Order: sequence, then structure tokens, then C-alpha cells
Amino acid sequence: MPKIPVNGLTLHLQQAGDGPDVILIHGVTGDLSIWYLCRAMVELAIDHRVTAYDLRGHGYSEVAPSGYSSADQAADLLGLMDAIGADRARLVGHSFGAVIAAHAALLAPDRVEALVLSDPYFPALRHLEDVSRWGHWQAFREEAAGAGVTLSDEHWYDLGKFFDQVLHLDDSGMLRFRRAVGLPATERLLRLGRTSCGEDTKRDAGLTADRLSSIAVPTLALYGEASPFLATADYLVEHLPDCRLALVPGAKHRAPQENPDGFLGALREFLQSIGSPPVPGGVR
Amino acid sequence: MSESEILDDLGRVLSDFQGREYSGPIGPETRFFEDLGLASIDAVVLGEALQDRYGRPLPFGELMAELGRREDRDLRVGELAAFLARHLGG
Repeated sequence: MPKIPVNGLTLHLQQAGDGPDVILIHGVTGDLSIWYLCRAMVELAIDHRVTAYDLRGHGYSEVAPSGYSSADQAADLLGLMDAIGADRARLVGHSFGAVIAAHAALLAPDRVEALVLSDPYFPALRHLEDVSRWGHWQAFREEAAGAGVTLSDEHWYDLGKFFDQVLHLDDSGMLRFRRAVGLPATERLLRLGRTSCGEDTKRDAGLTADRLSSIAVPTLALYGEASPFLATADYLVEHLPDCRLALVPGAKHRAPQENPDGFLGALREFLQSIGSPPVPGGVR
Repeated sequence: MSESEILDDLGRVLSDFQGREYSGPIGPETRFFEDLGLASIDAVVLGEALQDRYGRPLPFGELMAELGRREDRDLRVGELAAFLARHLGG
């Protein structure tokens, strides 16, 4: 399997197709397989060179004890672009993967041709979202409770707290948790729970509301029509100079899984609207 | 290779895949996720390993996309064998 050294770590990636570079960035606790399951890997490869990779600590990439903030992982992403010879790329991120993509666009605007932000919420925009309406977290809490992990409302969407509780389950609690979520998911969560990921991903890490609003590359805010983060979507459209909105019908926070065809249709339409980049050094 | 030869071969590959040993019998009804305890990322890596093993590109991207669109998202080893037989035949 293709592995590539980036920032002193080995990251697992998969590539397909030829053309302008598109890089696909999954969310925290996920892995690059979401891009296969929603058919992005096959469809986008028709007219792009598609690269999907596992974030540090995820999938088949190396687990680092720390360095999980959006700033750290934007550096991983830019390092990966160097390693695969992509001067510029269209970045497509889901959930925290979109936060990483946006942070990369802030750090290196010349290298980012376009941004697709699929259902992120940003640590710096946390105040926009009303916790009580956040069904996704409520559903997650119920699932966790069923698996023997109690999460209070005070720590909504606090992965650090969640990881900590999972790590400290007693033997029978761990057995119950494993039965509820399955062995691979348990192993992944335990592995990630021992890193600083939970705490790192809560910080804005320099991606403040003002800086986020300065991102001027063509951007698509792609949200589930019943996303818990629609206030964030509105904020992005209002504040970023070149940001348009698309809603995926029938989807909540996980549009690539909940409505893969709707997700992919909106993604393709946006990428086509960007057109082909000028050939470097060529005549315009 | 016939489908039953492929099935036997898959049993060998999956009994010790990426350091995850599986001691139970592996047959056509064995489920990739529920029984073998593998995840969808393992399916991506397995697909790649099988292309190397059989020395040709196989449309695993299509198989994964199909899996992402159906109700029962688990993959049976028999289905994988049939997919391989279809694309390795001829």
C-alpha cells in the first residue's frame, strides 16, 4: 500500500486518475474509505488526479502522540502535496477534514485552487451553534450510553472527554463498549484516545473567525439540509468573499454516507464550475 | 482460476490479513465486518493487495461504492469471490 513520509510521519494514501489535483480529507475518527464508499474515488478520477489519505493517527497512517490541531494537520497536508508533486490542488474535506483544508488555504492560498467544506463546524465559530438543537450529539450520547459511556451536556462534542472515559472503562465496561461499537472501531478509538487529538481538535489553533473570513479562494459550503451546523454554513456564505452554498437533500452531518449521490452531484458541479487550471508556464 | 479456487485463496489471505489472525473457518457466508472484525479501510487495502496478488487492476472502487449504497453494508467472502471470478475470468 502506498505510504509516504510527511513531517517525520508515514501517511497512507491512495491515488487514481489524471488531471488537476484533488485531495480528499476525511474527518476525525474516520479514514479514507469514506471516499470509496461514496464513489468520489471513482467519479472524480474521470477528470482529476485524486489523492485520498489517512490523517495522522487514522486508518493505515502512523499514529503520532500529538500534532492534531488544524494548523498541524494543514502542515501535513501541504507536506503531502509537496511529496506527491502537487503545486496546487482542489481540497475537499469532510467535517474536521474541512477545517484542515480551510487552514491550509489560510497558510498557503496560492496552493489552493478551490475549497469544498463538507459540513464542518469550526472551533472558532462554536458560539454560533445552539447545543440544545444539536441532534447529532444527542444521538451520539445515546449510543455512547448504550455502550456504557456517560457524557454530560456540559461537555458537548468533547472528544477529549469521550476518549478519556473510553480509556478508563473497567474490563466489563470495555467488553460492553466493544460489543456495541465493534472491535475495529474500539481499537481505533483507543489508539486515537491515547494521543492529544481530542484536545487539539477543540482549539482554533490560529484559525480565528477573522482569518477564516479572509479565505478568498472559490469555496463551496456543502452541508446536509438537516445539518446540525447550518448557522456555520450561513456564516461562511456571509463572510467569505467567494463562498457559495449547496445543501444535500436528506442528509444530516454525514452527507457522503447519508446521500452519496446527492453529495457527489453537488461536488462535481462545483468542481466543473472551477474549470481547468492554466497549464503552469503555458500561454493563457 | 475457478470461483472455488478463488474462495480457497481468499481464505488463506484473510486468515492472516495485516497481522489480524482469524482462526475460524472462512467460507462463502463469512462476513467481512461482522465475522472477521475488519473495517472498510481494510477492504480498501485488501483490494489493493489482491490486485498485486492477481497481477491486474480490478474495479474495487466500484465494489466499494456499491457497498456504500446498499442496506446491508457487510460483504460476504462469497460475494468477493464471485466479483474476482467475474473480473479474473478470460
